[in-house]
Amino acid sequence: MKNLARRVLFTLGAFVSLGVLSFLGIDALPGDGCTALLGRFGTDAKIAECREEHRLNDPVVVRLGNWANDVVHGDLGYSIKRDEQVAQIVLPRIRNTAMLAVVAALMAFPSAIVAGLLIGRYPHSRTGRAINTLGVLAMTLPEFVIATILWLVFSIWIPIFPGVTVVPSNATVLELLPHIWMPALTLAAVVFAHSMRTMKAGVTTIQTMPFVESARLRGTKERVTLLRHILPAALPPVVNTIAVDAAWLLTGTFVTEAVFNYRGLGRLAIDAISDRDTAIILPIILFGLGVYLTMSLIADMVVRLLDPRLKQQRS
Amino acid sequence: MNTSLQFEQVCVEARDRNQVVTPILQSVDLKVEMGERLGIVGGSGSGKSTLLRIAAGVLSPGLHLTSGNVSTAGVNMLEVDPKVRQEMYGSSVALVAQSLGEALTSHLTIRSHFRDTLGRDVADETILSSLDDAGLDGAKYLHRYPHQISGGERQRVLLALALVRSPSLLLLDEPTSALDVGIAADVLATITRLQESRGFALVCVSHDFGVVGRVCDRVAVMSRGQIVEQGLTEHVLATPSAPYTQSLLASIPRLHVRIREPQPSVQQPVVVVRDLTVIRSGSTRALDSINLEVGKGEVVGVIGESGSGKSTLLSVMCGLVSSTSGAIHDGNGFDLSTPLRDRPLAVLSEIQMVFQNPDDSLNPVRTVEQSMSRYTHASRDEVLAALDAVELSEQFLLRRPSEMSGGEKQRVAVARALLAQPQLLLLDEVTSALDVTVQASVVKMLASVQAATGMSMVIVSHDIALIASFADRLIVLRNGQVVEQGFVDAVIDSPTDLYTQHLVKLAATTVHK
Amino acid sequence: MNKRIVYCVLGFHAVVALLAPLLPLAPTDEQDPGAMLQGFSAAHWLGTDALGRDVLSRALHGGRPSLVIALLATALAAIIGVALGSLAALAGGWIDEALARLIDFLLAAPTLILLLLIASFFGHDPFILSVTLGLMYAAPIARVARGSTQVLLARDFVRVARLQGGRGVNLLFGEVLPNVWRVVLTEITMQFTWIILAFSSLSFLGLGASPPTPEWGLMIAEARSYMTINPLSVITPIVMLASLVLAVQALVDRE
Repeated sequence: MKNLARRVLFTLGAFVSLGVLSFLGIDALPGDGCTALLGRFGTDAKIAECREEHRLNDPVVVRLGNWANDVVHGDLGYSIKRDEQVAQIVLPRIRNTAMLAVVAALMAFPSAIVAGLLIGRYPHSRTGRAINTLGVLAMTLPEFVIATILWLVFSIWIPIFPGVTVVPSNATVLELLPHIWMPALTLAAVVFAHSMRTMKAGVTTIQTMPFVESARLRGTKERVTLLRHILPAALPPVVNTIAVDAAWLLTGTFVTEAVFNYRGLGRLAIDAISDRDTAIILPIILFGLGVYLTMSLIADMVVRLLDPRLKQQRS
Repeated sequence: MNTSLQFEQVCVEARDRNQVVTPILQSVDLKVEMGERLGIVGGSGSGKSTLLRIAAGVLSPGLHLTSGNVSTAGVNMLEVDPKVRQEMYGSSVALVAQSLGEALTSHLTIRSHFRDTLGRDVADETILSSLDDAGLDGAKYLHRYPHQISGGERQRVLLALALVRSPSLLLLDEPTSALDVGIAADVLATITRLQESRGFALVCVSHDFGVVGRVCDRVAVMSRGQIVEQGLTEHVLATPSAPYTQSLLASIPRLHVRIREPQPSVQQPVVVVRDLTVIRSGSTRALDSINLEVGKGEVVGVIGESGSGKSTLLSVMCGLVSSTSGAIHDGNGFDLSTPLRDRPLAVLSEIQMVFQNPDDSLNPVRTVEQSMSRYTHASRDEVLAALDAVELSEQFLLRRPSEMSGGEKQRVAVARALLAQPQLLLLDEVTSALDVTVQASVVKMLASVQAATGMSMVIVSHDIALIASFADRLIVLRNGQVVEQGFVDAVIDSPTDLYTQHLVKLAATTVHK
Repeated sequence: MNKRIVYCVLGFHAVVALLAPLLPLAPTDEQDPGAMLQGFSAAHWLGTDALGRDVLSRALHGGRPSLVIALLATALAAIIGVALGSLAALAGGWIDEALARLIDFLLAAPTLILLLLIASFFGHDPFILSVTLGLMYAAPIARVARGSTQVLLARDFVRVARLQGGRGVNLLFGEVLPNVWRVVLTEITMQFTWIILAFSSLSFLGLGASPPTPEWGLMIAEARSYMTINPLSVITPIVMLASLVLAVQALVDRE
């Protein structure tokens, strides 16, 4: 228990310090909210006026303090360029990306574990090798290529899914559903390959360990050996891979969202970056950090639970 | 059907990717009747483990049965349908393979192991009675995990699991090689008892004649894939006819047979240890208030089993591990608790060590000459002289580790240590990984090196007979403490400590009466 | 996969990347308004793109930008990664712990956003991109270097070297590196392929190579909308990119 509390505290500390670093880092970049708003049309006078209005001339520490204070109270700030509260902009996008992530995760992770287990145990089967090849392809082809190929196949040749998202970002879940499948499929393909490969590698190594053969030579049935002896032993590295990929599904999907114009967080990030809208960029980065740190913590706990030897160390 | 296992003129080859063929078994003829106990003894590379695995119907990839017939419980397991074969495991024949790692699944309880073998609805009573038969008493074992029980207990669990469906043939590969001497003897006694009460046929493979001698009525001796001798155990032990068997038996260390004559005590110390304590992670005391002195030219033998602290003692002496409290000095008063990187080269060279595993002691990408001279900066002549001292010829200069045998690699390791011209040579179970015949020649070599250089040695082993044939003084370690020390003859003839008495008794009754 | 096929593909890419400007190809930015989005023809073997430029020529030149940046970035990542990882393992103790956490963080944290940010704010400067990519991709290399160094340092022959006076960096170069270089090199090569893909993705988003530079990611982005009219303009860069990455990974997987 003590160990867990320490980990959580450390994670919070990391989050806060990285948050501060991010604020300072973004602040150091050329331009600010006012130059973003006025762009090429801004004369020096207008920009100065804008800065006065939004208190951008205050010293860094003051702005940092104000911002931190706001965040703790739930106010994510105000985007000068878009003239909207950041929360209004960012939260629906987080929801959309979360939906996408959940669908992709459900498609990819369970099937990756099963596929990796079976292919690792029976590497010479024909279906095994086929899936393996697909997995290799999915890992080497860049995301935008997979997206493009899927788009070609499922939107143009066999038109099942809509190619581009036409609903606005705050549409209801139901309205969003038809547009989710292709980006989700793309993401699932990338993530599937990664987890399957880790699982397969784990199973291949574990199979050579004495306890597997020992079980078989005692008369343990194949299915039992596979599910109760091999699988739990091969899971820990996969859990880590899944955690990393789950974090990625929530924070790194901008390419896929760009291709399908899906109104998620990634798409917003790209737009905000090209607009130089720092007020939006910062919360997105914080969200990303928070997701990564949380996933990391969860993964650690799950791995400990899986291995009785580590479980003991905690108490 | 009276025959439990039969090999008829069996020949097995290994073929690797480049079509290079190596014979593994040559014309093996073997027969084990129902209820018989057969032992198979041989060194590494003799093919004994392969033979056992083939008896269980397991043919590793790369191995091919080129001729002959194998029949296990009346069935040719190599050719029969895989489903039938899987059915036979546990019910007709069971193999407990040699496991240097974990043979039990670390994330499952003992109870789960049984349920996986017998089916989910097996009654706890069945499991308990099976464990009881194997010498494990009490329900506390049911919910334990493998890492929570000792090595000896794990071996008993494996036995119980193998026998729970009452197979008619039990195959054991090195059942006690990972266990301490005392525990090994108990486990072997259990095996004998089980066989006598249940009547299954038993084939026990070991490199150790002692193991086979305790358990089996008949023994087959193997060398290089062939059975060189077969017969009743007592007969073979008393009058071995094959030259290989003779040299094998002659190499086994015996309590009162000396390889090196003990020297009288010397005053001038080479290393002094006072009240040395080493506390490992947590609160385990690897070493507890050890007092020890090694004199110039003296050979001190340290007997200990796993967990006794013997390796830690050597590691602290040479500086690889730091002590928690206590003092350790060399002969000139230099404080040996100084970390390695702060020691002057002269002090570093004083104490050198040779490790247990021959496969790990040499850098795989270097030749012998490079490994030996890299840090000692020895000239070629010096390297040749050192190789000569360990009885290796000039052709070894350019050899790589992959081109040498275990014994040869250990000799190189000793030669490399010699080049630093140490005053004290530490030997950590340096022959434990070697065949007993190779062990005998390496120990002889060590004796001649000691006589030629007059250096002090601290030699650590779990084999009391081996140490007693070599050392001047003896120290017995148990749980980090010195339980007995003194001159070899005194300790062996009249040990004062109970533990030492037990070790001496076991050593005396092993192979030769 | 057959080793010979892999070598052929790699050889082809190497030749093309090095010699493209010397080959008798159409200029990559020559627009032919009368021949836009055409398929096979005698003048344009693989057709033309939306601005009438020759697809074959652009595709053969298209790997050069990514390869240059990837080579620079990989070299930087390799040097930093190997140094960081192996020295951390050698140091041990709290230094090693701290560095290990740093490496873990860099491995999984959303550094891609950082990449986007830097690419966007500092323009398309290839030097800055190379340095950023190099720093980001040093982490996986450091992890492998640290892991394999730790394993090596625990081996008996290293302990013997210590007893005979071997220390610090001398130990690293003498005992560790000769035994781990294969594993580390494999990882470096894999990261090289990921960097190529990362740069292509950046170009696809408009943040990497800028038009009219022929670059595979950029070409795919430009041609995507016209996929149904002239599929060759999209498929060709995809095949070039995929074949290079697959071939390099296949080469390394075998070892």
